Amino acid sequence: MAVCIAVIAKENYPLYIRSVPTQNELKFHYTVHTSLDVVEEKISAAGKAMADQRELYLGLLYPTEDYKVYGYVTNSKVKFVIVVDSSNTSLRDNEIRSMFRKLHNSFTDVMCNPFYNPGDPVQSKVFEGMVSGMMVQVS
Amino acid sequence: MAQCVQSVQEFIQDSFVPMVAVLCSEDAEKVTRKNNLNFAELLRPFCRLTSEGHIRDPNNQVQPVKNLRISVNNVCTRPAPATGSLSPAQRRLLGEVVSSIQPPEGVTANIITAGDHDLSFNATTPWFEAYRESFLQSMPASDHEFLNHYLACLLVVSSSEAVPVEQFLKLSQEQHRIQHSGDYTNPRWFIPNTLKYYVLLHDTSQGDEQRADAVYEDMKQRYGSQGCYLLKINSRTSPTGADEQIPDPWSQYLHKNNLLSQVTVNHHNGNNQLVLSSAWCVPSDEMPDSMQSHPLQLDCPPSGGLDSLGVLPPGGPTAARAAALAAAGTHGDCLTLNDHDHIRQFLQEFTFRGLLPHIEKNIRQLNDQLVSRKGLSRSLFSATKKWFGGGKAPEKSIAELKSTSGLLYPPEAPELQIRKMADLCFLVQHYELAYSCYHTAKKDFLSDQALLYAAGALEMAAVSAFLQAGAPRPYPAHYMDTAIQTYRDGCKNMVLAERCALLSAEVLKSQGKYSDAATLLIKMTSEDSDLRSALLLEQAAHCFINMRNPMVRKFAFHMILAGHRFSKAGQKRHALRCYCQAMQVYRARGWSLAEDHINFTIGRQSFTLRQPDNAVEAFRHILTNDSQQTATQQGAFLREYLYVYKSVSAESEASLPKLPLPCIHAAATRVYFGHERRLAEGEKQAATNVSLDQEYDQEQAVMWCQLEEQAVASAHRGVVPAAFQPSQCCLNSQTDNLRTPLAVVEEPIIVEVTFQNPLKVSLLLSDLSLQWSFTPRDLSSPQQGDLLSELLPLEEACHRVSPHTLTLLPPPPPPPPPPPPPGQQSSQPLVVRGQQDLEIRGPRLNSTKEDKTSVSHGQDQRLHPLITPPMPLMEVFFLQFPTALLCGEITKAYVEFCNVSGVALRGLRVASTHPHFFTFGGVGGTSSSSSSAASTPLSPTSAEVCSAYHTLATPPGDPHHHLHPGHPPPPVYLVSSPVEGLVRGKAVAVEIPLEGGVLRPGQSAQLPLWLRGPDQEGVHEINFLFYYESAEKGGRISHRVLRHNVFICASRSLSVCATACPSSVPSADHRGRDAEDGDHLNDGMLVFVDVENVNMSEAGVREFHIIQVSSCSRQWRLHKCINPYKDKDCKLTSRERAKLCFRAARCKPLKGNHRRIACTPFLIPLLRQIVSSTTPCADFFFRCCPSDPVKKEGRAGGVSVLKHLFAHVQAYVVEDNKQLILEGQLHVTLQTVGKEAFSLPQKEEAQEMVLLKFKPDLPPPVIQPSVEQLSTLIKTNLHYPETYSHPFVHERLCVVPVTLTMSNCALAEVEVLIDLRHKTISPDSTEVHGTFTWLGQTQYRRRLRPQEVAPLPLRACFLHAGVYNLSTPRVFAKFTTPTRKEEEEGGVAVETSQQAASPALIIITSQA
Repeated sequence: MAVCIAVIAKENYPLYIRSVPTQNELKFHYTVHTSLDVVEEKISAAGKAMADQRELYLGLLYPTEDYKVYGYVTNSKVKFVIVVDSSNTSLRDNEIRSMFRKLHNSFTDVMCNPFYNPGDPVQSKVFEGMVSGMMVQVS
Repeated sequence: MAQCVQSVQEFIQDSFVPMVAVLCSEDAEKVTRKNNLNFAELLRPFCRLTSEGHIRDPNNQVQPVKNLRISVNNVCTRPAPATGSLSPAQRRLLGEVVSSIQPPEGVTANIITAGDHDLSFNATTPWFEAYRESFLQSMPASDHEFLNHYLACLLVVSSSEAVPVEQFLKLSQEQHRIQHSGDYTNPRWFIPNTLKYYVLLHDTSQGDEQRADAVYEDMKQRYGSQGCYLLKINSRTSPTGADEQIPDPWSQYLHKNNLLSQVTVNHHNGNNQLVLSSAWCVPSDEMPDSMQSHPLQLDCPPSGGLDSLGVLPPGGPTAARAAALAAAGTHGDCLTLNDHDHIRQFLQEFTFRGLLPHIEKNIRQLNDQLVSRKGLSRSLFSATKKWFGGGKAPEKSIAELKSTSGLLYPPEAPELQIRKMADLCFLVQHYELAYSCYHTAKKDFLSDQALLYAAGALEMAAVSAFLQAGAPRPYPAHYMDTAIQTYRDGCKNMVLAERCALLSAEVLKSQGKYSDAATLLIKMTSEDSDLRSALLLEQAAHCFINMRNPMVRKFAFHMILAGHRFSKAGQKRHALRCYCQAMQVYRARGWSLAEDHINFTIGRQSFTLRQPDNAVEAFRHILTNDSQQTATQQGAFLREYLYVYKSVSAESEASLPKLPLPCIHAAATRVYFGHERRLAEGEKQAATNVSLDQEYDQEQAVMWCQLEEQAVASAHRGVVPAAFQPSQCCLNSQTDNLRTPLAVVEEPIIVEVTFQNPLKVSLLLSDLSLQWSFTPRDLSSPQQGDLLSELLPLEEACHRVSPHTLTLLPPPPPPPPPPPPPGQQSSQPLVVRGQQDLEIRGPRLNSTKEDKTSVSHGQDQRLHPLITPPMPLMEVFFLQFPTALLCGEITKAYVEFCNVSGVALRGLRVASTHPHFFTFGGVGGTSSSSSSAASTPLSPTSAEVCSAYHTLATPPGDPHHHLHPGHPPPPVYLVSSPVEGLVRGKAVAVEIPLEGGVLRPGQSAQLPLWLRGPDQEGVHEINFLFYYESAEKGGRISHRVLRHNVFICASRSLSVCATACPSSVPSADHRGRDAEDGDHLNDGMLVFVDVENVNMSEAGVREFHIIQVSSCSRQWRLHKCINPYKDKDCKLTSRERAKLCFRAARCKPLKGNHRRIACTPFLIPLLRQIVSSTTPCADFFFRCCPSDPVKKEGRAGGVSVLKHLFAHVQAYVVEDNKQLILEGQLHVTLQTVGKEAFSLPQKEEAQEMVLLKFKPDLPPPVIQPSVEQLSTLIKTNLHYPETYSHPFVHERLCVVPVTLTMSNCALAEVEVLIDLRHKTISPDSTEVHGTFTWLGQTQYRRRLRPQEVAPLPLRACFLHAGVYNLSTPRVFAKFTTPTRKEEEEGGVAVETSQQAASPALIIITSQA
């Protein structure tokens, strides 16, 4: 499962970041932030090809020594980033995709909340719980 | 990768140059030493050849050699370090080189806009280029390549030598010994027979020139003219020619050269004498431990924090070396420009005559060797083609190669010959040939699995392929990758791998392949060298930013990594620069964790670099931003910040620096002008002026402003001056702060500042003080200047601002609590002094279009008060002020006005929201007409027994006195500012009757104050605004105000309802008197007054007594009371009702000022008479009247009357078993004859106050008769003749007797109401039937016993013949004993409409 899940606003500031080893939070912040460059590159590359039927799932953004970073962009340019441990080979592309889909659905629910101000940090407990379910359980 | 000064081609060419060794005799060394240089150094600036040389390749084709540079070095025989890594000295040297070059200050940096980021950074990285150059120069020679092996050797002998030829011989032997004896491994030689070039150095200033020439001739004989040279230098005799400006070309070379020479060992005439340069740097091996941590780890400091960080000496080793250089003096002092030319000529001669032919010869030789060895073809090209043309076995993969250990060839191995030839070709820029040779060699080596050799060949093949002019083949990047991988993994040779990566990255950069270059560079970072990793990461970062789509974030991230590595390598300045550049990307974008980390690192680095201001700034950012860090982390940040801050503030004593914490909410600042308010003084209750405890309320503010306007208007004869501004006592964010507030001298100004601690750790504040400055403004001269700035100690109090709490600065808590020992700061707490500016930004403007589109803020003058001359200051106290009153109750209180200032005040006025609530009594004696001597008691004690009213002592039992109008009480006039409150129907401030109108300083005046309970029950908020002016005119403040608000709870007392109807019987008494007055006789009027006790409280008020009813009409006067109780006074207990009846008669209107209305009292016989016209009765009365009564009365004439009645009421209230007598008055205004007038608004009566009832339990459910059942209680039946003929001609009206039979169907007594008036409203009934009327009584009420049948005779009257429906009577019925439900609903039985009987038709015929 994921070690870090992040939701990034259209303007590239974090709406939500959660990582499992909490003491290494900063590292994941940096990783996610750096991955935005690749996301932007992929969007701009894909944007010209097929503007309408864009694949939201961006696939593997880049591998680092320890982690794999996957990206996903909603139509409103909100970015989801999932960092997965490299050693975790059981995760296939399909599983990552479904994780993103779940994340997207849950985020849509958050956005539908009339009390949620778009652009504010996500503080929904439901969302939190869903993300926790997708994270690596650290005992 | 950053931009470089050199082009790629230049860079690569300069990286690989022919190496020339120098062997100097001691004398020759002396000659050059005169210039502070050794021979190699002397030549260095001239090593680049400006002219073009030529060389012939083995095919005899001429190849131009352009821009060739040669490298001249002293022979160094020290054993080279292991080739795999750099020696510590070299590392140190490289570190020196890097730290010596810093980005130039003040040079405009490159600015790149990528997305929404604007980045400014240094486009060039000279420190990197310097590092690269030094690195390549310090490359140890290795066996597998020959590029940095010495090709030639210069043997230098001075002409002053006794026998120079011998020296030459000696040096030549020395060279031979070094090369061939096998004692020395380090200076490697390219070819066994190294080119020896004999140089005779002639010192023109000293030696004999002819002798030198002779020796040179001899040398030519011996070595051939192409193998020797006579170099004449030192033509300058005077050591320094001040007049002549000689360029010093050495300075730029020796800068690096000096460093290099430190690690090279000079060789002098065979004896291994180590000459170490004097200027060696401070060893910087000890890196601060705290820096050696993970780059992404938030540097949570170890116990020591910043204390443990060593602070570098300013400038570091760079300065030390610079000093050493300065001591060494200038170079080339003895050289003229001619000498420069000589040296240049010499090098040209050497290169073109000696070196190039030598190389050419060797290439030929090697080529011949190779060709002959293979024996297949004469030409190398064909040979190589044939050799490998067949396409032999495919190259083995690198993975396979890795497993085998590297193979070493003997120096003369044939495999190396081709490599040697390739290197030679490469050096003379014959890249095409070099490439094919390298390519051949590569295959050779690969097949032999000689990893190192193969990698070298691959590297050079790639480079030479790139350098080939015209580019016949693309740059083989994979060669490079393979080479790097082999170097690094196969051979564990990081130095070579690094060189290879540097070359490759540069090539890739030139081709725009930034991404590949970045990957390459990042791959090269490793743990073994922080400096290299730092530099390469930085270059990688530059690659990211230089991409077509700049990758800003990657740039920033790698900058951070580079910065971390720099700091680990001790390059603090570079580290700081990297972090600062990365900061541009992260700043204020929500990545707070990263931002905090960067800021923290910047702070630390700045601090160690003695830039404490920057450090404080950076730390401030960590603390001011909304930190998401944990509490411990915040605590660490705070401690570091305080430490840094303390050291900064220790340095600069002059002004206190600003503290970022706690946050001041400037907008929430409240400023209070005025003295501290006394709440109560004994029994006195002070006016609730404005205080800081009160919250600001917009409605209240508007209300107070209106009151003040009223007061000002009344002071200015009803006109509000144009310059009127409501006075504001307490300024906050919502008040109008555009105006400069006015403060009075010697009066305190209280500033309330709101602090917030955004951190999760506690802050301890102590010794808070508010600083202020005062600018005296002389009105005569407009100059102004800051004269004094004083520290105003507010209170030495310790405030512990806990997280997320607000603490008010003034007033501090009375007992200063001892600073509680903070749990987490067990050690000595760091205490710093600082200040924070209190600047209030005005509200955002939003009126004009520009304001809306831009963000502009208005002014806020809250903190800029204008001090004015002394003004009077008044305090108001109330005595015996009630909190609860009955409606209409009149009670007396006292008000005291104190002038507490040194200035007299005048014009005291009061405005109120409820002007009819109160009135003032006179100071001494209220009414001039009052015969009673009861003057207002000045002391409150005597008031307890005193009634609010003045009474005329009337002997009891003398009703004639009251009833007989012959002696009406003399008309009395109102004295206390009569009806001022009613001018133009608008509430106007009332002037307070002060003695003399002036309150002198220190004086106080006490006035009685009558209060009358509001007519409506409930809680009333009553606001008073006291207005006063200074007795001296012309101040900036025209007036001052004092506010007071009270809450009065009014409870219901009596409801008075009056009706007037004309009386037809004039009274005899009246007749006589009215005749005297010449009035109409018949104008009698009866006035009925219904009084009901509506008091709801059961325990409090026992009974009410009506004491007196008075009228104040000018034309009407009450006369006789037709009292049902006769002489008894009218007493009302709870919920009782009484009716009083009076006769009123018209009297002659009074002449004169209509304001002075005499109130004619009519007295219920009682012990005493109340003078209704005296204050306060009249005051209250006139204030309560909604309109001017006089006007209406004037046009009323005889048709409508207007009468005002007082009902004087005494209430007996039992409170705490003590009987109290309360008094009050109620007012009724009669306007129209026959119309009821109420004292209370009618609405109020309708809204019954529902008392809360506490039921013990729910009543048992009772089956209630339904509405349907109730509507069938009574059955009705009409009995009448079916047809009735009537002679309408004779009699217009036809009356038919009808009997209504009612039968009670219920088993209970029922009360029946028959209503004949009721008309069917529905239109259809009128269509069918004509109209008829019932005659006689229209409503009947009957009681029917159970199952009783009762007839009711009725008469119907018809006007026309026709058919009529008689069943119009409506019947209502109710039980005489109310049902339980009805009981609950208040005991009033509701009559239920009964079902209508079936239509009863009657036919009326007209009798002819």
